[in-house]
Amino acid sequence: MIDAGVLAGIDALQLRYLRALDVRDMAGWAGCFAETASYICIARENVEQELPVAIMMDDSLARIRDRVTYIAKVWAGTFEDYQTRHFVQRIDCMSGGDGLYVVESNFMVAYTTARGRSEILVVGTYEDQIELGRGDAKFRAKKAILDTVTTPRYLVYPV
Amino acid sequence: MRNDSALDIRWPAKFNEIPKEVFHRADVYRLELERIFHGPEWHPVAHVAEIPARGDLKTGYVGAVPVLIVHGDDSVVRVFQNSCAHRGTQLKTCARGKADKIECPYHRWTYNNRGELIGVPGQGDFPRDFRKEDYGLRVLRSGEVCGLIFVTLSDEAPPLADYLDNTAEHIARAMGGDGRLKLLGYQKVAFAANWKEYSDNEGYHGPLLHAAFRMLKFAQADGAQFMTPHAHKVNSATLAVPEPSFIEDGSVVEGRDPKLPPHNIIVSLFPVTIITRNLDVISVRYATPISPDETEVHYAYFAHADDDAALVQHRIRQASNLIGPSGFISLEDGAVFNRLHVGSASDGTVAFQKGVRGPIVAPYALDKGDEAGNLIRWEHYRQAMGFARD
Repeated sequence: MIDAGVLAGIDALQLRYLRALDVRDMAGWAGCFAETASYICIARENVEQELPVAIMMDDSLARIRDRVTYIAKVWAGTFEDYQTRHFVQRIDCMSGGDGLYVVESNFMVAYTTARGRSEILVVGTYEDQIELGRGDAKFRAKKAILDTVTTPRYLVYPV
Repeated sequence: MRNDSALDIRWPAKFNEIPKEVFHRADVYRLELERIFHGPEWHPVAHVAEIPARGDLKTGYVGAVPVLIVHGDDSVVRVFQNSCAHRGTQLKTCARGKADKIECPYHRWTYNNRGELIGVPGQGDFPRDFRKEDYGLRVLRSGEVCGLIFVTLSDEAPPLADYLDNTAEHIARAMGGDGRLKLLGYQKVAFAANWKEYSDNEGYHGPLLHAAFRMLKFAQADGAQFMTPHAHKVNSATLAVPEPSFIEDGSVVEGRDPKLPPHNIIVSLFPVTIITRNLDVISVRYATPISPDETEVHYAYFAHADDDAALVQHRIRQASNLIGPSGFISLEDGAVFNRLHVGSASDGTVAFQKGVRGPIVAPYALDKGDEAGNLIRWEHYRQAMGFARD
């Protein structure tokens, strides 16, 4: 049984994470990760077939910060922007010891285009490793596994 | 040339202009399926690295036709229609899988992985002249280059070696020299664009659309672009990539393959397949037209069989972040495909300019930054479709 205070800390991190994405605060997104961290967004098909290529493979904080640069400085002005709404439901949480928790959640991300049409962007599961220290909780690893193997548009933002 | 398509397309006399309506009309799309995708062209559908063992299979499409690519227990790779010879049920629904036998769920007709019908329940009540030999899976005409499996639905397609012109050597260079590859995985995306907008990419836009090219100070020390008689396009250039200053992890643009210094090799086969070698990323982009307004692209990524573990890991990290639909130096391509399709729902023509010096004729050599080469693709398209010029 995981302590309610621990669960509250974990959920607060997830909310901080999805709010950052939904307001396109990419620095805030990067700020959800620990000093040693990884963010992977990968199709479930690849995971099930043990194929390692991901859609986004930011396996260090340097790469996570580089993704913020891609969005803000490299791709700016070219892509069709879209508004996301992330819906996340925690379905499992286990202690990994030393203040580390292994958390699994379902997610669904809706998106709205500039024309005002809303559709589902991706559906899947998060497999997270979250550390709870003295300060705010942080992701040591966040893996977004997409059931939506063929995405209905190119993904600009992390999920 | 007479207009034998029975469609009222006005094709401009000016050879650098393309009518926008061909990107949108449903009747044009249906004719493209018939004359191009189901016509006398060859289409890559798999690399043997995707089905390396006996019994491995992959599904896909050639135009609108579902196909099943199977590595048989006799080591022969065959391409079948993904359709039971009895009532036409789709046989396999998975993207990739493994099967010693292929069983249709409807009436349990069963085939071996060579496509031979080996089991039919209730045969005693069939017509007397029924023979299992007559109901094997239909084997489509296929061929292989560097492990890449091509298929055509037409008996009129030229032999594969002739069709590819001299692109085979560049396909080999892109695939590590010999095509002995290992599959690393897929990225799959749908673009809200016509397949011709997807495949109309060229060398002109590179440093203009992609800010990363400028910010990284990519220099193509030498380079060439040429078109072939069957309207395939090859771009090849060595790359000088200085240590990037504005990103923290420079490995995303680092060339580490000792066998090939940093290169950009892009082989665009008519109509929609692209085989690329960008730095250390080896990729085949299989594209399928879904409708006039949608094109689905599967980016398959590979390592070479001789790579050491460190190079494989480098290829995985580079493939994931560099050149796919969400790639550091490529995301903007998808944006432009979609924006082309919105913009082309308007009157008139699109007009190619860069490198256009007159009607394009052999030997088809172009500057690496020209867009004029695409006019050879368009001329091939116009003739295949039977559209007369004004």
